[in-house]
Amino acid sequence: MRLQLFAPARRATLLRATAAAVLFFGYADLVRGGTTAAPLLIVLGYMILGPAVILTWR
Amino acid sequence: MAMKSKSGASHDMPVPSYGIAAGVGAGVLALYLLTLAPTTAMWDASEYITAAFTLGIPHPPGNPLFVLLGRVASLFPVGSVAVRVNALAAVCSAISAGIWFLVAERVLVTWSPLRWTRTVAAITAAVLAATTFTVWNQSVVNEKVYTVSLAFFAVVSWLTVLWCDDPDGRYADRLLVLIAYLIGLGYCNHPAGFLVGPAVGVAVIARRPRTLLRWRLLLAGVLALGLGLTPFAVEPIRAAWHPVLNEGEPTGCEQKIGFACTFSETTRTRLMANINRDQYGKPDLTVRQAPLTAQMGMWWLYFKWQWLRDSHGTQQGLQVILALVFFGLGIAGGVTHWKYERASFWFFGPLVLTVTIALVYYMNFKYGASQDPGLAGVAREVRDRDYFYLWSYSTWSVWAALGLAALWRTLAKGAADAEPRRWLTSSPILLLGLFPLVGNWRDASRAKETATREWAHDLLNSVEPYGVLVTLGDNDTFPLWYAQEVEGVRKDVTVAVTSLLNTDWYPRGLLHRPINAYDAAHGPAVYRGYTNPAPTSPIFSISAAQLDAIPEYVDVRTPQVFQQGTLRAIVDPRRLEYGVPTRGDLMVLQLLKDNLGIRPVYIARTSGAYVQALGLEPYSLVQGLATKISPTPVGTSADTMQVDGFGHLDLVRTRALWDSYGAPSAIIRRGDWVDRPSVGIPALYAMTAFMLGEAVARRGDAAGGDKLRRRSLDIAEASRIMDMFAPGDVSAPLPSAAGAESGDVRRQQRVPVRP
Repeated sequence: MRLQLFAPARRATLLRATAAAVLFFGYADLVRGGTTAAPLLIVLGYMILGPAVILTWR
Repeated sequence: MAMKSKSGASHDMPVPSYGIAAGVGAGVLALYLLTLAPTTAMWDASEYITAAFTLGIPHPPGNPLFVLLGRVASLFPVGSVAVRVNALAAVCSAISAGIWFLVAERVLVTWSPLRWTRTVAAITAAVLAATTFTVWNQSVVNEKVYTVSLAFFAVVSWLTVLWCDDPDGRYADRLLVLIAYLIGLGYCNHPAGFLVGPAVGVAVIARRPRTLLRWRLLLAGVLALGLGLTPFAVEPIRAAWHPVLNEGEPTGCEQKIGFACTFSETTRTRLMANINRDQYGKPDLTVRQAPLTAQMGMWWLYFKWQWLRDSHGTQQGLQVILALVFFGLGIAGGVTHWKYERASFWFFGPLVLTVTIALVYYMNFKYGASQDPGLAGVAREVRDRDYFYLWSYSTWSVWAALGLAALWRTLAKGAADAEPRRWLTSSPILLLGLFPLVGNWRDASRAKETATREWAHDLLNSVEPYGVLVTLGDNDTFPLWYAQEVEGVRKDVTVAVTSLLNTDWYPRGLLHRPINAYDAAHGPAVYRGYTNPAPTSPIFSISAAQLDAIPEYVDVRTPQVFQQGTLRAIVDPRRLEYGVPTRGDLMVLQLLKDNLGIRPVYIARTSGAYVQALGLEPYSLVQGLATKISPTPVGTSADTMQVDGFGHLDLVRTRALWDSYGAPSAIIRRGDWVDRPSVGIPALYAMTAFMLGEAVARRGDAAGGDKLRRRSLDIAEASRIMDMFAPGDVSAPLPSAAGAESGDVRRQQRVPVRP
């Protein structure tokens, strides 16, 4: 049996929280004029974590 | 391996060849990198590279998702910034090629029995889709945002195909929600992101109409779509920081970002104007800009280019034959798709129709720049807009490859050999799919294109330190933005483009622009030891509110006197573009008023007869690629001579500048020019060399004069300027004075019809 660190429901919640946090910090950096971390975080949030959240939605 | 749905239905469907798809994508990427532009290019490439690098806002709708992706790409620590952003286009198109492989392979499952035949035919689809002229040409330089759109198209297509396979499956609902999210996200790249929507809708109705009655799923889809649209929030946030590229200025924050000004009515109005592209003021769709038949003719013209570009018309017969062949193959592929794989057809068929006939109707273009050259007196697009049909030609290629696979199947069935062998013996028919790869290589490749970068350096260096340079449109402006903001070249020069001076936001943006110090160490030799003081006054002496108050035009149609100190010019509205002074013209006069005697003021020589229209000829002095406006009348001297047709020429300065110019060699080395509407740029170089040669010869340096005139001919020959005057083509529209058409930066003009 495969060892699972988190149950699927917990993992989905964690993923959602991570996506929300990444986008929040991305936009927060953008608001304070950031041009490096902000786009990296926002792209990560929208392009990777967003689809992952939808595909693992429970 | 069989796929199993939640409902328990087992689908005897082979697992998609994701590994091969990745390999196909990698191969296509290698091709694109081999033919990648080493720097910027004409038209919008410089604008988008600059926007990405500075996290700025390009022309409406502002493309926030592209800007974010481009900024991330620009941070990649390999190659120049331009190469990194160009490579983004290449990666996006390579991803779509890999996905078209998967789509084609999936469609072929039901009617192509052997796995290897499916693989080979699907590879043909990917290669064909990747090497059609417009897809290839747009994938090797980031001229537009459409390759990112293409990647979204392809991803949504694959997800929809998966959904169509198993609409009751475990992941079916999540796939639909993800599709809605990606459509929203795609819209933030470009409104074309919505083009896949109707096809997805048709597929859902055809496969599982009851899906539309599941309100919770619909609500989830709407919320996902809304979430996908939220990157538009980037626009007002960045705009409030007033980046160098802040087109449309979608913010109410005048100085710095703040809560109240960001969440204000002004921000909302400006952002919505940007998203809805109000700036361009396209007419209602019922008002056709050209007959629909002509608009379909434009699609067909560019369709012909896809299989053999033949930019100089030397193989027109072969081009037509290939176009007819691939058109027929596409129809055959579509019919075969319908016949054997109905499930995915319900998506892909409507998609092809949407990006072909519906898109032609929606875009409502005028005649194409190179369409029906013998047709005089019709309104034309400023350039060829084949890139708007990139999705059309890409998806058509998939059908053409399916048609080719159907032909292969027919030949294999008719062969006398045993089963695997007869497929093999008839496989050479697939080589037809390699035609675009071979035929388009020369025209699609941007591998040696460096002239635009050199042109930007040359034009900026024609201007004395701290000068103001008035330009006309896309090609004499965007490359300068790129040179200044990405490469840091001559940031001391203030570029003011007349077409954007017509807007309200651009003059305000010029007020925000800092005064950058002149970097003498990296400037041209001609300015070494130059002691122009750095100006301290802003570029306009009037406030933002006063700038806003300048009217869109003044209804004056008779010559008017413009006086500033010793300068007295007779402005003749009849010689201006609209027959009356527009806001842009008034802004130029304001710039002259505020800067003559403080900053050197130049008008780019790409502007044709603009100097004459403003009555500034007696005060103008040609220095390289720009005309300096002097506060006092220019006379003839040891260094300055009158040249017929050009006015006064600063011989010493122009010759010194000419020797430092990089574009002439780049143009000759490339041996061709990108397109006819921008050919005025090499023409300007050729004219300058010729004029300089004449002047030098008149001064007694016959050998020097000959050398310059030969250089002029070399440039003309390399860029094929003489093609413009080819017999039989005399009525064809010529490019604007120097190819610096207003292009996409033009703002809607509400001026009276020219009398």
